[in-house]
Amino acid sequence: MTNVSNAFDEQKVLAKFLEENTLFHAPDPEIMEDHRVGARNEMEESVLSKGMDPHLVNEVRGRLLAALDESNTMIEQMGAAPGAKWGDIVAAIFTANGDLSMISPHGVVGFAGCCHYPIKFISKYWKDDPTVGIRDGDGFIHNDARYGGIHNTDQSTIVPLFWKGKLVAWLSATIHEGENGACEPGGMPAAAESKFDEGLKMSPFKIIENFQIRRDLQTFLQNSVRDPKLQYEDMKVKLHSVLRLRERVLKVLEEFGEEALIGTLRKNLEDVEVEVRRRIAELPDGTTRVVAFPDSTLRENVLMKFNLAVTVKGDRMLLDFRGSSPEFLNRSINTNQASFKTILLTCFLQNIWPDLPQTLSILSPMDFIFDEKSVLNGSFDTPQAMSLIPLFKAMTLPTIPMAKLSYMLPHRYTSIVAPQYDQPATLIYGGLTQHTEQVGNFCADINGNGQGGRANADGEHSISPPFAAMCDIGEMELIEEEIPIVRLGAFTLAKDRVGFGMYRGGLGYEQIATTRGTGFWGFMTGCTGSVFTPSQPLFGGYGPPVYPLCKIRNIDIFEKLKSAPENINFDIIDLMNNQPIEGATYSTHDMGMTFELVQPGEVYMICQGGGSGYGDVLLRDPALVAKDLEEELISHETALDIYKVIIDPVTHFVDEIATKELREAERRARIARGKSFDDFIQEWNTAEPPAYLPYFGSWDDRNVIYGVSNGQRIRMDGDKLNSMFMPNPKDVLIGELQAELSRARLELAKFGV
Amino acid sequence: MKRVSVDIGGTFTDCFVAWGGKYLQSKALTTHQNLALGFNEALANACAELDVTVPELLSQVDSVRYATTLGTNALIERKGPRLGLLTTMGFRSSVPLARARGYGAGLDQKQQLDVPNAKRPDPIVPIPMIKEVRERVDYEGDVVLVLDEEDLRSKIRELVDKGAEVLVVVLANSVVNPEHELRIREIFLDEYPGHMLGAIPMLLSHQIVGRKGEYVRAMSTIMDGFLHQVMYHGLGTLELNLRASGYDKPMLVNHNSGGMAQLNSTDALQTVHSGPVSGIAACEHLAASTGLGNVVATDMGGTSFDIGLVAEGGVKHYDFNPVIERWMVSVPMVHLVTLGAGGGSICTYDPVYQTIAVGPRSAGSDPGPACYDRGGLEPTVTDADLILGYLDPQNYAGGHIKLNPRRAKNAIEESLCDDLDMEVLEAAKLIKRTVDGQMANGIATELRTRGYEPEDFTVLAYGGNGPLHACGIANALGARKILAPPFSSVFSAVGAGSTAQMHLHEMNTWTVLFNANMKSFFNDYDGFNRNVEELERRGREDLVRQGFAPEDISYRLELDMRYGNQRVQTAVVTDLHRLAGQHDVLKLIDQFDKRYGERFGEGSQATEAGVRINTIRVCSFVNQPGIAFQNLVPSSDHLPPPAPVGQRACHYVGYAEPIHTPIYDEAALLPGTLIEGPAVVVTKATTYLVEPGWRYQAAAMGAVWFTRVSQ
Repeated sequence: MTNVSNAFDEQKVLAKFLEENTLFHAPDPEIMEDHRVGARNEMEESVLSKGMDPHLVNEVRGRLLAALDESNTMIEQMGAAPGAKWGDIVAAIFTANGDLSMISPHGVVGFAGCCHYPIKFISKYWKDDPTVGIRDGDGFIHNDARYGGIHNTDQSTIVPLFWKGKLVAWLSATIHEGENGACEPGGMPAAAESKFDEGLKMSPFKIIENFQIRRDLQTFLQNSVRDPKLQYEDMKVKLHSVLRLRERVLKVLEEFGEEALIGTLRKNLEDVEVEVRRRIAELPDGTTRVVAFPDSTLRENVLMKFNLAVTVKGDRMLLDFRGSSPEFLNRSINTNQASFKTILLTCFLQNIWPDLPQTLSILSPMDFIFDEKSVLNGSFDTPQAMSLIPLFKAMTLPTIPMAKLSYMLPHRYTSIVAPQYDQPATLIYGGLTQHTEQVGNFCADINGNGQGGRANADGEHSISPPFAAMCDIGEMELIEEEIPIVRLGAFTLAKDRVGFGMYRGGLGYEQIATTRGTGFWGFMTGCTGSVFTPSQPLFGGYGPPVYPLCKIRNIDIFEKLKSAPENINFDIIDLMNNQPIEGATYSTHDMGMTFELVQPGEVYMICQGGGSGYGDVLLRDPALVAKDLEEELISHETALDIYKVIIDPVTHFVDEIATKELREAERRARIARGKSFDDFIQEWNTAEPPAYLPYFGSWDDRNVIYGVSNGQRIRMDGDKLNSMFMPNPKDVLIGELQAELSRARLELAKFGV
Repeated sequence: MKRVSVDIGGTFTDCFVAWGGKYLQSKALTTHQNLALGFNEALANACAELDVTVPELLSQVDSVRYATTLGTNALIERKGPRLGLLTTMGFRSSVPLARARGYGAGLDQKQQLDVPNAKRPDPIVPIPMIKEVRERVDYEGDVVLVLDEEDLRSKIRELVDKGAEVLVVVLANSVVNPEHELRIREIFLDEYPGHMLGAIPMLLSHQIVGRKGEYVRAMSTIMDGFLHQVMYHGLGTLELNLRASGYDKPMLVNHNSGGMAQLNSTDALQTVHSGPVSGIAACEHLAASTGLGNVVATDMGGTSFDIGLVAEGGVKHYDFNPVIERWMVSVPMVHLVTLGAGGGSICTYDPVYQTIAVGPRSAGSDPGPACYDRGGLEPTVTDADLILGYLDPQNYAGGHIKLNPRRAKNAIEESLCDDLDMEVLEAAKLIKRTVDGQMANGIATELRTRGYEPEDFTVLAYGGNGPLHACGIANALGARKILAPPFSSVFSAVGAGSTAQMHLHEMNTWTVLFNANMKSFFNDYDGFNRNVEELERRGREDLVRQGFAPEDISYRLELDMRYGNQRVQTAVVTDLHRLAGQHDVLKLIDQFDKRYGERFGEGSQATEAGVRINTIRVCSFVNQPGIAFQNLVPSSDHLPPPAPVGQRACHYVGYAEPIHTPIYDEAALLPGTLIEGPAVVVTKATTYLVEPGWRYQAAAMGAVWFTRVSQ
């Protein structure tokens, strides 16, 4: 007995020693792996156990939403970052425990959804630290996604709210700022080989005291980024928006009292969780699966598997991501599970249950399983600056299993929709503007992804980013006024480049950009889906096509437009197929382009992607095909080859009888092309991924994971993953060139040269 | 002053006549097939009261002014010509894409968030009617690609062959260099001369909007093109009707900028929403002429609740990119917010929060609230008001609509009571509490996002349901004073009678007053002054064309300014008309700092990031006398109320038991009459509810003050 007691005391002493001698407060797994709303605190328990009038709660909630709306409007109006101007912002209120209770009506829920992690970190580590502490008038800044966040380009200001000396809530404001001093401008460096290339990595720290930003710390941050003006302006914007929110919440406290506020914030979470449980319980019990295959690390082409099995049992849902690709030690496309889960919340709100209040507790009835060191659950040391690659996938991935689970429900909360195009297809830029300002950021085109086809309608063209509603692709005239980009192709729907189906996806649009009026400018793109179709279709539709990056270099198109404009059309296909500019270098690439300098008049072209198709193409109403043709959304070839609709090329009238015959013939041909399941397995099933394929993830058994590290295929147990190390593509190229040179020398040697 | 002003709404045509010292109001149903008929009826009613004939009256008035929702209705019904759009190569999908967010423009928040169900509105210009023109101008106005005239001719022909009845031209950066747009018109007239039968109009975007932003400029020009014929015929018919009735002066049309002009100096787009904006203009005139200070205008009708803002000191609040119907446009419109809350708002049970949700769906007027007995089954705000005893079932809307309390009770009972576990009366109180709270939140957000506090404002309540809910809204808002203004049932028409002839002209500019990087200040004073002079010249031309002498014209300079690279543009009204030196530049920066600080909070200014002017706007106007409001301050000599005409048991939020509430007829209440709440005052057009803790005081000209007496 004595020995046990001694051992216990010793343990306590050791634990205390370690606590007092912590070298570094890294992200705390206890915080980062917990997506659920925590237990009620004492005050919440005391208020809610007495019961609350739901109508009073509604009144208080209305007041808080009005305050959040006001705060969000301030961010949008005052903000300087393109993200702020075009809607990538949010203001939010959290409980005293740090659980996200409410966000502003038009905010990006994902931004707020991950702020509860840094708040919990602040509460756990800084509250009682004598060198930091939490006092009225304090405010914290944060951007490192490892401590909670989507990616490091988003910066949050977090402020504790005190009432009569007691901390009763937390408030936050977040903006996608863009530039953050990373190795590439714009805040999303695909070239980051380690987290030390990612620029600002702000663990939550205090930067506001007595309601004012500390100038010394502000200067440090300004000194660390390319755009000190932006850093300054938006820190101020976030502070004053949060202060306005604070003022309003204090009024609510004055008017309704502490119990009403605390009870409302907590009840909001609990009511929504109850509703989500009810909705999950409506679904049939069972498991359904989906996989996705991003095709690039943004440095090289690979095939990564994202594996998801959704299991519903009663009022709980399990999302199992085991079997997905391992993490990459020196590629920036990893994410961590905290960011990933937050984005899954976004997916549910954007695609499945858009009528639900936007709060964290939607995730409470859900469980998640990841392999350790998977690309979706990356470890602390992995670079995560381009986590958008997995995160954009997470914004659409559950739509397919959820469509299957909910298709037969008598009540639908919204339309069943095939996945939206799920990549950030936008030009990221950096350099010196025509007004001699140094900038680095991204274009608002990120907000214009094509929607997937729906159970009752085509997808809408370029409708929103997959992470939020009511975002803006901007006005080109205003953008060109500020930065030295000239968009020759500004907004032209990309003909034929969409997921076909009974209801097709919405189209994306071409972005043809060049630059002038600057001596220093460059572009990058951070997008997968140039080799393997980016989004999955639903119920027999087609996925969207792959989208390349095209370049026309070694010319100044402005000169050509002056001297010989006749054959130059601002159309990617026309420019690339007909190559109308003599002397130019035309090239096609995948859309994972790291930052490269651009000469004035060189042309870079990408395409905002289209949504996936819904249902069989042969079921598409021929009248809709004719309409698409008339609107130049598809070509005659597509009408005929894909939809099997015969349309007069001049009148656009559908030949109904011939179409019917053609479709019948195609159905018969399909049957003829078909084969038995056993034959199919015999022909297609292999024990391992093909040797030539740089494949990452499980193949058949989700417990066995494949990867390629330092050029070598490896096979791992799912619970013992290694981090993948990728050689520098330049080294690979040098190696290839050297080998080629050696071969050439050998050849020449044969001739005695 | 003798004047006629008219507000032609969707349902009623309101008429307000100033005849010497007399003011008369009258209403008639709007006759959509020929607007003149409704107007004639309303005017005839007024003339009958004045004992003059219509020609006698029209020959003596100084003006007839119209505010109208005609344009809004035409947009909703898509009643307009087939349009063709010519736009810059590479921009052809700008209009169909509507900046992505356009799918949700004009919808409520729930619909905006429901992306899977999103549906862009049917386009005014279908995709096949959009053709690209081979040309390009950059942001500074440099021609990057010279206009390809042969290509242009073929595109024009294509659109004409496809049946275009109006052509709209929107080229990138045409506001900086309109050379190509102008050349397109020349070529168009060369191909299709105006004197030919079947000649069609062509609108150039830079002549409609002076600001950058190709999408919103395109939509503004498209709407102008679309509405032009409908508005021209509608308003032209009115003008002919006036001429036939003895009126020999130009007809005046109210604008959504808060001004007014002759028909021949009015764009169609400027008339959209001019009705509700005229209501705000009336508030502004009333506030200025009676020393009311800050005023928030609230107009609660059957389906919506409009909020406008009139700040003391001449601060102007515009929406530069208002949403009209389902499209964002570029026109400096007086700021106006519409919430989906009115008497017809439908109330549903919210299962997530176990409470009531009010609106934004509305039962409208057909079928209308359940108590209208026209087939509506869902409970509405009016049903709750009826159940609570505020409305007289026999005398609603002047006795035109008989209300059926049993229907109201059933609707509330069946839709709400079980879920809420409440009796009907409690549910009705909850509806009132909820809708009042929603409207108060709407007002508070509007005021606060512009840097104001509700307690510093007087609430002006008008519209059919305004005075019924005014006390409840004020309670939730924390306001202590409400004014139901004179002639509140025709208040927009009153506003039309009080506006000045005014034109706004804008110019996009990149004027850096303070360059933070270079630490330098703006010094091209001549260039700036030339731009202001040019805008003044345009305004002067407009007004001289309408018969005014140049010396009667006043100008107001407004600058939309911002810090660094912000999006927000704060309108600064400056007393400077020209820049003469650094001191003027510093003065502008100071004025901007001050206004910005008021709006976003002291300390939020970011002068260190640089200060820029984005838009120069000159407001050219001629001051004319408006409706003379008498001193509306309530008299200290109170008159006791007359005997009530009845009594009802009314139920109030916060009171468990019903209160026997006296009913008064407004016609019997003289100015100075003071009534302590609770009370109900019935007028011909509406019902005033004086809630417990409030006091009713009749003032001059039929105005009514509500003052909170309890804490």
